[in-house]
Amino acid sequence: MTTLLYSGQAHVFGDDIPLDEGVMPFKYAINRTTEPQALIPHLFETVDPGFTDRVGRGDVVFAGQNFCYGKPHVQGFIAMAALGIGIVCRSMPYKQLRRAVAKGLPVITGAPPLDAFVSTGDSVEVDFATGVVSNISTQTSVQMATMSAEMAEMVQRGGLEGVLRRWLAEHPEQAAVAHSAGRSV
Amino acid sequence: MSSTTTDWRPATVTQKILARAADQAYVEVGQIVHPRPDLVIVHDGYVETAYRELSALGFGAIVDPDRTVFVTDHAVAYNSDVAIRRGATIRRAAAEWKVGRFYDVGQGGHGHLFPIEKGLIEPAMFVMAYDMHCTNFGSVGALAISVGTEVTAVLATGTVWTPIPETVRIDLTGQMQPGTYARDIGFHVATALFDGRWGADYDFRVIEFGGPGVSGLSLHERVALCNSITEIGVASVIFDVGDVRSDDDAPFQSRVTVDLGSIEPQVAQPGGPEKAVPLSAVAGLEVQHTFIGSCGSGMYEDFAVAAELLAGRRVAEGVRLFVTPGTVDTANRLAGAGLFQVFTEAGAIVLPPGCGPCAGGLMAPLGEDERSISTAATNHQGRFGAGEAYLASPATVVASAVAGRISDPRALLQEAR
Repeated sequence: MTTLLYSGQAHVFGDDIPLDEGVMPFKYAINRTTEPQALIPHLFETVDPGFTDRVGRGDVVFAGQNFCYGKPHVQGFIAMAALGIGIVCRSMPYKQLRRAVAKGLPVITGAPPLDAFVSTGDSVEVDFATGVVSNISTQTSVQMATMSAEMAEMVQRGGLEGVLRRWLAEHPEQAAVAHSAGRSV
Repeated sequence: MSSTTTDWRPATVTQKILARAADQAYVEVGQIVHPRPDLVIVHDGYVETAYRELSALGFGAIVDPDRTVFVTDHAVAYNSDVAIRRGATIRRAAAEWKVGRFYDVGQGGHGHLFPIEKGLIEPAMFVMAYDMHCTNFGSVGALAISVGTEVTAVLATGTVWTPIPETVRIDLTGQMQPGTYARDIGFHVATALFDGRWGADYDFRVIEFGGPGVSGLSLHERVALCNSITEIGVASVIFDVGDVRSDDDAPFQSRVTVDLGSIEPQVAQPGGPEKAVPLSAVAGLEVQHTFIGSCGSGMYEDFAVAAELLAGRRVAEGVRLFVTPGTVDTANRLAGAGLFQVFTEAGAIVLPPGCGPCAGGLMAPLGEDERSISTAATNHQGRFGAGEAYLASPATVVASAVAGRISDPRALLQEAR
C-alpha cells in the first residue's frame, strides 16, 4: 500500500487549465503515447515551461477551478503519477478525477480559494487520507475534503494496475499460458 | 396506484437500469455499485492499448468474451503502416481473447450506430464502452456509460466501480420548425446546459429526455440529440422510452422544459458543440471543407435529407463535400435507393462507412487555412485538421456546400416546394 502523505514543494496554477495543451500537448494524446519517460519532459510545458526541471517526488500541484477540463485523456496523469506528485484543486471534471485516480494519482477537489494560502515554491505537506493540507513555509494548515473511500483505496493499491495485478493473482485461470518449446500442450 | 413491496421508492430509469445490472432491488443516487454490463464495446483506437496493457500484466483471457464487442470504425482504410500493423494486432487480440462479436474493417461500420440498427442494443440494456459517444444508445432507452481507459478493468474483471449518477430531466414539447433538425436542438441544449442558463449541473449527470415532444422524434433524431450533448462531460444521455421508465416523482436533480418549435437552425462555433449560435450569426462565412456523417448524423435518414436538398444542384467550386455513411447497412440502403448517385453527380466524395474525417482526420482532413462546416460529433481545435471547424445539421451542411459559404437550408427547402 502506498502512503497518502505527500511532502514537497507547491506548484500553483490558476483556473481553467485544460488537459490538452495545458497539462500535456495534445499530440501525445492523439498518438496514444503511454510511456512515462516520453511524457514527463512535456508535463505543463505549454503553461509552465521548465516545470519538469523544478518538480520533485512528493510535490503537490495546486490548481483552481475546472482543472484538466476537456477530453479525459490520461497522458498528463501518467506523467504526474510517475513523478510521484499529488493534486489539490478547487474543482475538476468527474471523468478526469477518475482517470487520475485510476493512474494512482491522489487528488483533493473542493479546495477553497488558494491564492492567499499557498504560492509556488512554498514547502507543503498534504495528507490525502485525512484532507489536512499544511503550508510549512507559512505555518498554516487547512482541513479540506478527502477523497472518497473508493478513490483512496484505488490510489493506495497503485491505481488500476495494482487492482488488476491483484485480480489476476486471485484468478489464475485468466493468466496467459506460457508456451515453451519442445512441450506439447 | 399502490405498490406491494414495502421498500418501493421512486427512481429514475438510470437508477432502475443500474440496480438491475448491479443485482440490487434499489440503488440510491451517489451510491457506488459494480454493475455488470450487458455489452462491453471497444473501438480500434483502444483495442491495441488494452491488449498491450493486459498482456504486460500477464492476462491471457478476458472475463466475459461473449459480452465483448470490438469494432473497427476509426481507421477503416488503413492510412499508414502503423494502422496496418494495428489492424493485425486487433485481429490477434480478438482471436486470443475469443471476443464474441468482432466487427473488423468493412463489416459493421460505426460502433455507435450499427449496434442500434442490428438490434444488438435493446431498451433498458446497460452498456460500458471505451468511447464517450456510446451515449447514442440512449436513443432506444438503453444506458451506456463511457469508461474510457478504465475499459481495461471492465475487460479483465467484468466491471468497474460506478457511482449512481444524478439525472437532469428535459421535457420536450412541440415539434421542430421546417429547416430545424435534431442536431440544431442538440447544439442548443448542449449550449444551454454548458452556460448554466438552466441552473442544471451536467458534470457526470445523466441527461434524460422525456415529455410529449418525444413521440414526434424518429430514431435518427433521437440519436442526433443524444450525440450532440455528450461532449460537455455528461455521464450519459437517455430517452425515457420503452418499458423501464422513470417514475413521475423520481429524484431528478433538476427538470427543464424545451419547446422544440422555439429553436431555429443553429451552428456550433469552433471549440465544441456547446458553442452554438443561431445560424444567422455566422451565415456568409466561406467554407472549403464540408462533410456529412459521424456518429451524430450517420443514419440513412440523415443522408436522405441531404440528398433531397442536393439533387439537381452542384457543390460549389473549391469546396469538398465528403459523405460518410455510418454503417455498412446504411451504405447498402443508400446504394439501393440511388442516393450515392445523387451525391457523386453533385460533385461530393463518398467515403467508406465508419467515423470519416471526425476520427482525428485520419481521412479527408481540414487544411490549416481552411474553414469547415460538418455534422461531426465534435469540433474542438485540431479534431480533424488545423483549420476552423463549425458544426451544423446535414441540411445546413448541404446548403453551405452548394453556396460555398455558411448558408441557411430554409432557402433551399422553399425552392424545393
